[in-house]
Amino acid sequence: MPSATLNESDLDRLGLETPIGRIDRALKQLWEGDEAKTRASLINLAIYTEDSRQLVADNELLDHVAAEHACRALLILALPEAQPPRARAWIQALCRPYQGKQIVCSEQISFVLEGGNAVQVQNIVFAHLDSDLPLVVWWQADLAKNFEERLYSRIDTLILDSARWEDPARQFDVLLAAMHAESGDFDVRDLAWTRSHFMRTALATCFQDATACHNLDKLQTIHITHLKGQRTTALLLAAWINQRLKAELRVELIEKDSGPALQSLVLEGAGVRGEVRRDCDSCFVRVSSTCGENTREDLLPADVDSDAELVTELLSRFHGSTLYSSMLPFVRSMLK
Amino acid sequence: MSELENPFQETLLSRHRAEPCSVVIFGATGDLTHRKLIPAIYNIAAAGDLPPQFKVVGFARRDKTDEGFRAELEEGNRKNSRQGHNDELWKSFSQCIHYHRSEFEDLEGYKSLGKLLDQFDAERGAPANRLFYLAAAPEAFKPILEMLKKAGLNEGVGGKWARVVCEKPFGKDLATAQGLNAVVAATFEEKDTYRIDHYLGKETAQNIMVLRFANSIFEPNWNSRYIDHVQITCAENLGMEGGRGAYYDTAGALRDMVQNHLLQLVSLVAMEPPTDLSADSVRDEKVKVIRALRPLVGPEAVGKNVVRAQYTAGSVDGVPRVGYREEDRVNPESNTEPYVALRLMIDTWRWQGVPFYIRVGKQLPKKATEISVHFKKPPQIPFATSTLLKNSENTLVIRIQPDEGIALRILCKQPGQAMSMQQVKMDFRYSSSFGKASPEAYERLLLDAMAGDATLFARRDEVENAWRFIDEIEKAWHKSDAPPTMHEYPAGSWGPKEADDLLRADGREWRLL
Repeated sequence: MPSATLNESDLDRLGLETPIGRIDRALKQLWEGDEAKTRASLINLAIYTEDSRQLVADNELLDHVAAEHACRALLILALPEAQPPRARAWIQALCRPYQGKQIVCSEQISFVLEGGNAVQVQNIVFAHLDSDLPLVVWWQADLAKNFEERLYSRIDTLILDSARWEDPARQFDVLLAAMHAESGDFDVRDLAWTRSHFMRTALATCFQDATACHNLDKLQTIHITHLKGQRTTALLLAAWINQRLKAELRVELIEKDSGPALQSLVLEGAGVRGEVRRDCDSCFVRVSSTCGENTREDLLPADVDSDAELVTELLSRFHGSTLYSSMLPFVRSMLK
Repeated sequence: MSELENPFQETLLSRHRAEPCSVVIFGATGDLTHRKLIPAIYNIAAAGDLPPQFKVVGFARRDKTDEGFRAELEEGNRKNSRQGHNDELWKSFSQCIHYHRSEFEDLEGYKSLGKLLDQFDAERGAPANRLFYLAAAPEAFKPILEMLKKAGLNEGVGGKWARVVCEKPFGKDLATAQGLNAVVAATFEEKDTYRIDHYLGKETAQNIMVLRFANSIFEPNWNSRYIDHVQITCAENLGMEGGRGAYYDTAGALRDMVQNHLLQLVSLVAMEPPTDLSADSVRDEKVKVIRALRPLVGPEAVGKNVVRAQYTAGSVDGVPRVGYREEDRVNPESNTEPYVALRLMIDTWRWQGVPFYIRVGKQLPKKATEISVHFKKPPQIPFATSTLLKNSENTLVIRIQPDEGIALRILCKQPGQAMSMQQVKMDFRYSSSFGKASPEAYERLLLDAMAGDATLFARRDEVENAWRFIDEIEKAWHKSDAPPTMHEYPAGSWGPKEADDLLRADGREWRLL
C-alpha cells in the first residue's frame, strides 16, 4: 500500500517551491541573467506515481535521464486518499556541463497532488508541457486508476514496468484495452521487456552459426534464473523465445534473492544447448552454445539494470516496433 | 545459413546487422590502425554490434607476435577509444586480433594469409565473409590488390563475400585514380568496393539528407529561386605538425580536401531527392551533381574562380607559427597550396546562377567545418533601410565539426517603440540535445562496410568525375604558361585578401565563423 506520509526533507530536494499559477514565470526567472546556461528540450517526460516513497528515487532518475535526453521533466506524485485536498509544485533545473564551460539544462516541474483525481492530473500535465514536443509518460501507478482515455489519447509513448505490478494479469488487460481503444495509438515501452534486451541479443548470437541454427528444432526447455520480483521479466523473455521458435518449450523459472534481474538463460534439447550467463557484478554476459561436441564461447555487453539506465536506454531506441504488443497475448495466456 | 534464418535475430534490428566476418588490415602497424580503426572496432564490440566469431588480422611488414601486436593496440585503444577502455572487454575482444607478417609484394605471404583465414572458418564451422582494409600508403594499393587476386582471396568462399575498403587518397589525379580503379575492378566487383571518406560518416553529414528530404519546409525553398549562394568552409588551425608536410606537400588542399571531402558535401547539399535510400540511388544523385559542376578550364577561368595561397609566418591563438615553406619536410620552394578558395557553379535547373563558395585552409584562426546556405532577401522589406539589412539574409548553417549542429539565422523585431530589426539565431546542437555521444565516423563506416551498406562510400564514377574537375585546375596551376598567382596570408588570419575579393566581386562576403 503506497505511503501517504510526506517527508519535508524529501520535498526540499525537488527544488524551489512555487505556486502552481506562477510556474511559467518562475521558470523564466530561472534562466534570466545566466548567459552561461543553455536550456534544451527534445521531449516532455512525465513520471506519475502514487507512492511517496518513490519521490526521491524518481527525482534522481529524472536528473540522470535528462543528462542524455534533454527534456521538460514532470514529476507527479498523486495521493488520492490524502485530505484535505492540496496541490504543491516545485521547479528546478537539471544541468550538466558541456565541454567544461557551457552548462546545458533541462527544466523539471514536480507536483504533489493530495486528494488528486484523474481530471486534476490531466490538467496539470497538459498545462505544463513544452509545446510541440512528444509526450512520454512513465505510469508507475495502477493502470486501473486515473489512466483515462483523455490522458492516454495525448500520450506518444507510455513507459511502464510490468515487473512491478502486483496483479500483472489484470494490468495487462487494462493495457490491452487501452491499446485497442480508438485513441490508443501510443507506443508502449515496458522496462521489464527492455531489461531482457541484452539476453535476447546474446541469445541471437548463441544461435548465429550454421550448426547451432540447424538444431533449433531440437530445443525442449527454457530455464531462466531471475531476481525475486522479476518474474514478469522472465515470462516476457520466455514468451518471446516461444514466439520466435513457433514452439511451446517447457519453461522453468528459478528465483534468486539477490543479483541482477536476469541472471541466466539456458535453452536445452537433445545434443544442443545455448546458455547466456551474467555474473553478479559484470557488465558483460558470457555466451556459450554447444552442438554435439562443439562448444563456442563469447563475451557480450550487458545492459545495466537500474531504472534510470533502462529509461535512458529505451528513449534512445528505435521507435515503432510492434514486437512487444504482438507478444502480449502470449504473456497474458502464460499468466492464467 | 543467413542471419535471417536465425529466428532470434530478425526482431532485434534497427539497422543492418553484420554477418560473421574476418577483417584484414593492410598497413596494420600504422597510425590509422592504432588511432582510429582498432578503437572503432573495439567500440562496436562495446556496443554489442560486432558480429559473432569476428576476427581482425593485422597485415604488415614488421616482425611481431599476436601478443606484441595486441599490446601495442591496447595502448592505442586506451588513448583513443571513445567510450574508454574496459580491461575485461579488451581481454575478450583482443583474442580476436591476430598479426600476419608479410611484404606487400610477397605472394607467399598472401597464401599463408589465406590459410589463416581458412583456419578461422574451420574454427567457426562455416565460412565467413572477408573484408580487406587498405590502410597502407597509396602506392602499396596496387601490389596488395594484385596479390589478393593471385592468392584467390578476392572472392568469397562458400557463398560469402569478399570486400575491399580503400582509404583516401584514391589516386592523385584522374589518370592514377582510373589506373587504381582498373586494378580494383580487376580484383573486386564495384559492389564489393568501399572507398572511404570519413566525412560522410559524421552525424551531421548524414543529417543533411534528413534535413532536406524529411522536412517539408526546406526542400520547396532549396533552389535558385530562394537560395542566393552556399558557402562551405573547412578551416584547420594547425599546419604541418607531426611530419605531415612530407605527404601534404605532394598533395595540397585541392587534392587532399576538395576532391573528396568538400565535393562530397557539395553533392549532398545539391543533389536531387533519391528515389529510395539504397546505396546506388543516393550515389546516382550525388554523381549527377559532380558531373554538373561547370568545368574550370584554362588559367583564365581558374584565375577568376579559384584562389590558392600559402601561409607566411604569423600566430594562431597567440602561438607563433612559421610560414608554409619553412615547415618541417616541406620543400622551401614549394608550389603547393595549403589554402584554396573556389567559386563553383552547378549547371542544373535547380542551381542555375547559385554560386557555391568553398574554402579550405591550414593555419586559420580556428578548426571548423560548416556549410551555410544563404537565402535571398525578400523582394521588399517595409521596415528598415538597406544599411540595416547588411548580412541579414536568412542563413541555415550546418556545422559538421566541432560542435555538430544546425542553426538558422532570422530577423526579429527588437523590443521597443521603434520598428527596428535584429538578427537572432535558432541553434540546435547535437551534444546539448542528445546527451549520448555520436559514434565515431569510422565506427559507422566499418559497420556499414561489414553489413554491405555502401551509401556512405564513394563510387567509382563519383571519384573519377571529381578528379576530372580537379585536374583542370591543377593543370592551369602547374602546366600552363601563365599560371594563376600563388597568394599569401599570414598564419592565424582567415586567408588571403584575394579570397575575400572572390566573393566581394559578386557583392557577397565570407561568413564569420
